[in-house]
Amino acid sequence: MISKRNRLRGTALVAGAAALSVLATACTGGAGASSSQTKDVTITVALFGAPPPQKSLDAFTKSTGITVKWSTIDWDSLQTKIAAASTSNTYFADATDVDWSRVGQESKLGWFLPMEKYIDQKAYAADMPQLSSFTSNGHIVGVPFDASYLVTTVNKAMFAKAGISAMPTTIDEYTQDLQKVKAAGVAQNPLNIPFAAAEGLSTYWYETTQAFGGKILDESGKPQFSSPDSAGYKAAQWMVDAIKNGLVPAGNINVSDSESQQTLMAKGVTASTFADYSGNVGSLYDVPASSSVNGAVQYIPTPGMTGATANVSNPDGIGILKTAKYPEAAAKFIEWFTSAENQADFAGANGPDKVMPGYFLPSRLTGLEKLTAAKGLAGGQELTTMLKSSKPVFPAGAPVWYPQFSNSVYTNLHAAAAGSMTVDAAIKAISDSATKLAGQ
Amino acid sequence: MSTSLRLKQKPPARGGQVPDAARRGRRLDLLPYALVTPLTLFIVGLALIPAGFTLVEAFFRVQPLNPPDEFNGLDNFRQLFADPAITASMGNTALYVIIGVLLSTVLAIAMAITLQKQFRGRSVLIAVLILPWALPGVVEGIVWGSIWDSNTGLLNSILSSFHLIDHYLVFLGQNHFLTILGIELVQVWQITPLSTLLVLAALQNIPADLYEASTLDGCSAWTTFSRITLPLARPGITIAMVQGIIATLNVFDQPYILNGSAATGASVTMQTYFISFQNLNFGEGYALSLLITLATLASSLLVLKFVYRPVEF
Amino acid sequence: MKQRTPLMRRLGIAFILLWSLVPLYWALNISLQTDAQAGSKPSNYLPPTPSLDNYSSLLSGGSDLAQSVQQSSINIFIECAAATVITLILATLAAYAFARIQFKGRRVLFYAVLATMAFPAYTTLIPLYQILTAFGLVNTYTGIVLVYVSGFLPLATWILHNYMASLPIALEEAGNIDGASRMQVLWHIVLPLARPGLISTAIITFLFAWGQFLFPLVLSSDLSTQPLTVVIASLQGRHLVPYTLLNAAGVVALAVPAGIALVLNRYIVSGMLAGSVK
Repeated sequence: MISKRNRLRGTALVAGAAALSVLATACTGGAGASSSQTKDVTITVALFGAPPPQKSLDAFTKSTGITVKWSTIDWDSLQTKIAAASTSNTYFADATDVDWSRVGQESKLGWFLPMEKYIDQKAYAADMPQLSSFTSNGHIVGVPFDASYLVTTVNKAMFAKAGISAMPTTIDEYTQDLQKVKAAGVAQNPLNIPFAAAEGLSTYWYETTQAFGGKILDESGKPQFSSPDSAGYKAAQWMVDAIKNGLVPAGNINVSDSESQQTLMAKGVTASTFADYSGNVGSLYDVPASSSVNGAVQYIPTPGMTGATANVSNPDGIGILKTAKYPEAAAKFIEWFTSAENQADFAGANGPDKVMPGYFLPSRLTGLEKLTAAKGLAGGQELTTMLKSSKPVFPAGAPVWYPQFSNSVYTNLHAAAAGSMTVDAAIKAISDSATKLAGQ
Repeated sequence: MSTSLRLKQKPPARGGQVPDAARRGRRLDLLPYALVTPLTLFIVGLALIPAGFTLVEAFFRVQPLNPPDEFNGLDNFRQLFADPAITASMGNTALYVIIGVLLSTVLAIAMAITLQKQFRGRSVLIAVLILPWALPGVVEGIVWGSIWDSNTGLLNSILSSFHLIDHYLVFLGQNHFLTILGIELVQVWQITPLSTLLVLAALQNIPADLYEASTLDGCSAWTTFSRITLPLARPGITIAMVQGIIATLNVFDQPYILNGSAATGASVTMQTYFISFQNLNFGEGYALSLLITLATLASSLLVLKFVYRPVEF
Repeated sequence: MKQRTPLMRRLGIAFILLWSLVPLYWALNISLQTDAQAGSKPSNYLPPTPSLDNYSSLLSGGSDLAQSVQQSSINIFIECAAATVITLILATLAAYAFARIQFKGRRVLFYAVLATMAFPAYTTLIPLYQILTAFGLVNTYTGIVLVYVSGFLPLATWILHNYMASLPIALEEAGNIDGASRMQVLWHIVLPLARPGLISTAIITFLFAWGQFLFPLVLSSDLSTQPLTVVIASLQGRHLVPYTLLNAAGVVALAVPAGIALVLNRYIVSGMLAGSVK
């Protein structure tokens, strides 16, 4: 799958247009009136991955009369486009990406049409554990189509070389095993944590915090990690200790998530990533062209305090822009795109002809079952179990101030890892910013 | 521009102008206006009006997540200076500017002197010289990332090949000054070609007989450099420095790609981006942009005042 | 008499070559290796088994990637060329007026134009987008070119102004006495003399346009207008694009400017350097 949380190269530069909100008042009426027509229309779907196979799209057109024009735009640029089009009220696509971390902002700004108007909310919620991440203020902003979440990956070959055959189930075991791998000289620095000050570091901490048995924020946005015996505090301490005592390569201070997965995990330099992306085994570590550890890296249930723990979900959603020309047709497409059959097909349940490149895991439990039954997925059983129990970072949807909060998380954790501030000071700074943001 | 500064400035030389106005009497001469109209339309429509918009919004609360927009005086500026991340980025940027302008200017003078006299292959060397400038910024990060990299980077590899280090080092992200230096060096690499061309252009204006005279007088190379080359290259050096100031005050790609959003390298333009496009607090973002513009103008004027001297041959 | 190149100059030449070429060589070197080779420690200073695979996956065939690289290469070329031509024409007209004709408001206008170079990109980005949206110019070549022109006009005007001001006035005066109109003087006397300055201004403008990223990113929506730089940046956002391929993309993006620099180098020397900065 395509990483969306790597170092925000374009991003930054990018989002430029978000700014356009300013223009909201200036330019109204840019978008033509929307139509509820669903026959003989062409809709534009803009996502950051390659399209489903043309045959599948043709079949959709045949059965509904809706032609799909697919536009592939990288994740960062796509966010810019969404902001630009929405704030200047200009048409750009009918259906497009909804990221869980933007749900708060996008819901408040009203950039997407509420999905509950178009789908059976209850039925979807029952079959899609991650739907809650896309719900804010009672509105469904988007529907998850790819069920990414954070998961622990281990290079079992390297662990075996260090004499470890049983996989760790608790954080303590995990840490000891890593130390064994280091001591045995299998890897100088066995653990991969991308400490670059970027989004990937924040998500890593969320997953680690969950593993330490705690939450980041409570329902009202109050930080839950301020005291030294809280999970978030311990998680931060554990991460920073890991780089200080050499479990993590010193150079990781400036390495982003996807970069570290490509240059460290895929090259057998590190033996484990605690918060990796689900899907990486199939799409990166088992691909001979980009990896020298084919077949060695596997998913393990995330080690927790006393045993395996829940994973943090990190899904991709799709929604209907308020400036869509054919919202009804777009809704029909989303329904089709996220159906159990198609999700299983896209993920490879029925042969390579039906695979959507870059697609990872069905967001529907029924889709997953179909896929697992067809044995189309490496580690499918484990992944299915983990998906069922995966939890969003923000159960009530990401707050509107999420980007600022995340910025505070990754800059301060990075500084603590670099040694320019203590973990205590970093946690205090993050906690202060959360309190301030939530109080606004 | 302050009045005192303006008074001290010499009017631009008017020598060498065709005295059209005199020739045509007092009738209004429309031709120059016709000639500058297209330029003016572009500059007004696509630069001054947008910038004017910014200037005004800098004094408003403009937050789409928190409507409505309203006038809030200097609040945006107060918030900027109360935010330690912003003030830290101002410090970083000051370092970028000082290191970048000094280094690129010194290198540009050295390179320009190397290229001053005609020699075989000189024009090819100039072509090679401008390559770093021709490399798009988005690619520059890829290239330099693989040089600084702490796991497989070129610099580490060379150092360890010569047994200067026994394990790979981390250049960026740990030591504050080293991080700033490493990042700024990449920018210097990019901006030095233009600076060199500008200085070289000035050097080409220095009459050869001045150098002949200094040779006849038995002046040392250093004396020739400090008494003839440097003073007479001042106009070119000034422009090169102004270009350097504009570039370094707006440094963005290099720290962002090489060092993420970390406080060790964050620049003011990066903060502008975060404030405006991530936090959707446009008023504050505009206020910071305005400060960058003012800093650019002020430091350019300082350079004009202290470095620039009109040269007549 | 054969003159020995002074030591200092030889050192200077060596420095310029190393300084400019080592990083570029490194990108080329990596682009010719496989992903595994590029990650080796110590690094391969020469590609062990040079391969053009990265280039072929970027440039050839009908893959999604190759198509975007091809189309965006065409786009960047059109946008840069159009911006260069328009900038050059407008800057020439204005520079001539600024350099040779006295008129009211001349200094104010000249300095106001130059001052716009001090605006950070983010200052004008949003309002510009608004203006272009209002005229329906977002995601069009016209919109991108207009923005480039407005951005590069100040520097181009400045360089050309300096160049024209440094030209000997005598020929123009002769033209005036012969009764030629000022436009005729500009066309028949000034422009031929200023040709080297025009060419170097064109090169500078083209190179600046070639490196643009932020503005075309925001002002283009899809492959119909996205320049190569935007497509390369989007590659970096894709997880599975190997780092060797990114370096190959970098080399591709450098090819055209490098070709221009090598072919036109004598104009850069004679143009920009023939006494322009005063």
